[in-house]
Amino acid sequence: MKPTTIIILLILATLITLGFSSYLGSSTITNPDIQQHILTQIRIPRILFAFLAGSGLALCGMVFQAMFHNPLATPFTLGVASGASLGAALYVYLGFNISLLGIDGGTFAAFLGALLAITFVYSISRLQRGFSPETLLLTGVAISFFFSSLILFTQYLSNLTDSFQIIRWLMGSLTTVGYQDILQLLPFVTLCAATIIWLSRELNLLMAGDDIALSRGVSVHSVRYLLFFVTSLCVGAIVALCGPIGFVGMMVPHICRLLIGSDHRWLIPATLLFGGTFLIICDTIARLVIAPAEIPVGVITTLLGGPFFLWLLIKSRNNET
Amino acid sequence: MTIQLNVSDLTLKIANKTLLSNISFDLLKGDYLCILGPNGAGKSSLLKILMGITPASSGEVIIHQQSLSQLSQKQRARQLSYVPQAHQGLLHFKVEEFIKMGRYAHHSVLSEWNTNDRLAVERAITITQTEGFLKRQMNTLSGGEAQRVMIAAALCQQTPILLLDEPTSFLDPRHQVEVHQLIMQLNQQHGISIIEVSHDLNHAAQHSQHILALKQGKKLWYGPSADLLETDRLSALYEQQFVFTSHPQTGAKVALPSEVL
Repeated sequence: MKPTTIIILLILATLITLGFSSYLGSSTITNPDIQQHILTQIRIPRILFAFLAGSGLALCGMVFQAMFHNPLATPFTLGVASGASLGAALYVYLGFNISLLGIDGGTFAAFLGALLAITFVYSISRLQRGFSPETLLLTGVAISFFFSSLILFTQYLSNLTDSFQIIRWLMGSLTTVGYQDILQLLPFVTLCAATIIWLSRELNLLMAGDDIALSRGVSVHSVRYLLFFVTSLCVGAIVALCGPIGFVGMMVPHICRLLIGSDHRWLIPATLLFGGTFLIICDTIARLVIAPAEIPVGVITTLLGGPFFLWLLIKSRNNET
Repeated sequence: MTIQLNVSDLTLKIANKTLLSNISFDLLKGDYLCILGPNGAGKSSLLKILMGITPASSGEVIIHQQSLSQLSQKQRARQLSYVPQAHQGLLHFKVEEFIKMGRYAHHSVLSEWNTNDRLAVERAITITQTEGFLKRQMNTLSGGEAQRVMIAAALCQQTPILLLDEPTSFLDPRHQVEVHQLIMQLNQQHGISIIEVSHDLNHAAQHSQHILALKQGKKLWYGPSADLLETDRLSALYEQQFVFTSHPQTGAKVALPSEVL
């Protein structure tokens, strides 16, 4: 199939998903006014929000996979998401309530946490000459554990209400949503997506390895720092608002690469569309499975993502030998 | 002869280890320079410094009266192109896509693919004779095919100087000859200056113009290739005795490692 055909199909799939998921829900109220209210004030913003978060997470995952030439490298496996979680948890614990230009302070705290984590992981992996993917992933795992225990500690110190808030949010959820939350996310996802689109040629070359990218003329280090910055912002904003929704950033770009190839000029729009659609579907499942109660969407994505991760791991091992 | 590239006092230190110390040499226009030396002599590091992959600790490289360190990576990639020793991570590319990516340095963010790009790519493909496998995936190529594709991608950069890191090391004899003929063709017919890191003494002696011999990060010898095959020179470089004979076909002097009888 031609890339254009695949993109058109993905656009159609996105539109269909948007339409269907707005009509699916636990509510059985027959009053048309209330129906209307649920649709426009609750479901539609939630679906749009899920789309944004899913696109953002998938794009960030795609960038990490390209930068580190490894399908297992994502903001989650490299500890960036747990850095963001720690930032946000500390923000809740310390009881700050700041906002800047209408953006909640939690987002900035998460951003700083994410940036801290990626700086740490990257510097450690650079200590060895010609960093190996194994070192990188193991450093990420170590950082994740370290930050997770700091989050647990924060929770332990918090009072019951804060602690519950932190736990519920750590499961990853899209529930707490109105239109204002979309505005909290939109600038960051847009900035991130725009930067990534702008750097699509560079991303193609980065996939071929640093040496090749440099010899073709890519300023690898500046590109990498810029990408670290925008993905940290994006992951920070998403994590602060919906918690660490895992594995979207690993599964979606990988599936898209199988569908459309590794040329980022096509891969970026595919990942953006599929990432958003994928999270809407997961969230709709989360809303419906045990309706009228709902499962945190992070549980669904992780249930799908765990086996997928193992499959990738086994597959890449087989390729090496 | 005009000097195309002037390297002076290049030094590379990583974690208190000196990998290269005070390397100086000139590359003439249209030159074919082979860098020889035992493993770990710093040959690949030298190429990587020139390409801007590894930053030098001190020293300077001048091209067109300009210091390389003042050029952006993109500007540098319009002067120098590079064929690395081992290729990894290329698995997902189609050959044609990969070759086209060599045009990066001639583009800005918004520029469209134009006639110059198309011609440069077509020319690179014709010279390297890679037409036959443009639609294939990189990971399905044999060693010789992959090397030609790597050279084609570098040629798309249309640089006056081409750097090659052991381009024939992992190839069988037929493909070694094929790649070496390609390099000589680039040098002689297309006027591209070549810097090649090699272990192939006899090829270097016969076909290159100058030799830079490195040992333990130091310049041991620089001179015309015809003077390379001397007993003392080779034994000092490789700590190995050599014997000499002449090529049955061409009569050229050939060095062979001596046997303990």
